[in-house]
Amino acid sequence: MNRFDLLNKIQNILKDNLIICNIGLPSQELYKISDQPNFFYMLGSMGLSSSIGLGLSLSQSKQVISIDGDGSVLMNMNTLATIGNRAPSNYTLLIIDNGSYGSTGDQRTFTDENTSLKDVAIGAGCKKVIECSGEETLNELSKAIEDKNNSYVIISKINSGNVKIDPIPLNPITIRDRFRKFIGIVKYL
Amino acid sequence: MKISKKIIDNLKKGGVDFYLSVPCKLLANMIEILENDKDVYYSAVPREEEGMGICAGAYLGNKFPCIMMQNTGIGNSVNAIVSLLQLYQMPVVFLISYRGTPGEPVGAQGGMAKITEDILQTLRIPMLHCSSEKDLDKISTFSKHAKVVESPVAILCDFNLMKDDT
Repeated sequence: MNRFDLLNKIQNILKDNLIICNIGLPSQELYKISDQPNFFYMLGSMGLSSSIGLGLSLSQSKQVISIDGDGSVLMNMNTLATIGNRAPSNYTLLIIDNGSYGSTGDQRTFTDENTSLKDVAIGAGCKKVIECSGEETLNELSKAIEDKNNSYVIISKINSGNVKIDPIPLNPITIRDRFRKFIGIVKYL
Repeated sequence: MKISKKIIDNLKKGGVDFYLSVPCKLLANMIEILENDKDVYYSAVPREEEGMGICAGAYLGNKFPCIMMQNTGIGNSVNAIVSLLQLYQMPVVFLISYRGTPGEPVGAQGGMAKITEDILQTLRIPMLHCSSEKDLDKISTFSKHAKVVESPVAILCDFNLMKDDT
């Protein structure tokens, strides 16, 4: 199972929640599978999906899922400490860990060598840390969303590999405004 | 404490209701005020760039965020400012302790001080430079300006303004 297969498999659960999706291929693949107003596609700022989702979950009560990657979490590893100390129960971080920098040509990351993001997350203070296969991810994600008392970090171990895909044609203000309209903030659209 | 209280009062008057900080000793009083303020959210964060991401999320969730940091933090955050906050036009207030300005005892702080305003200018971020107490009266209007122009804005507080605020 690669990232595209995984996103396909979990798309229904994503449609019901606020999604912050990582820059590059993860966003492009998600857009191709199903474009929704409650999907916030990152067009820049690699590394910050987990942080944007955390700020969003602290600011309103709807469930938030940050879709992140191993390369991006390695870039902003302090985020796990902030999540371990501050994440509210409406926050889930889904790390799609394919051991590679997918958007830049599948160069190996350190999770393909000695680094365990599960161990880092636990050490950083995250209480509910699940490492699972791609096949198990939908079930684990469902359980995390249903649990109203805890935030979760789910590390989904999948294969590397990407599908050939175009950049997202939406402009950033469209992404911003329809997302905020979905939450009920923007009224003018 | 008087200066710090005035800054926070003016930020709140400007609508800011979500605060993060990467601590600085010049921000210590403000942090103490915010930790005891039940009306607003406050947390420390380990790194400024990460804080920019959290502020972006808070804005999406209808908060008006402020990140407090040393001017060194701007250096840590340039890409997040440009390719997140400015790309999506998100209002965020940067409350910056301007280390390395006259009165600063640590010579090594001078390097970032020399280029801080140049960086902010290059980024086209509106600046409010506070060197005396009366400058603080402009903070609430300046914060509201961030929302009007949908842009991050920067408030720079000089070392000498903050250092005796005990």
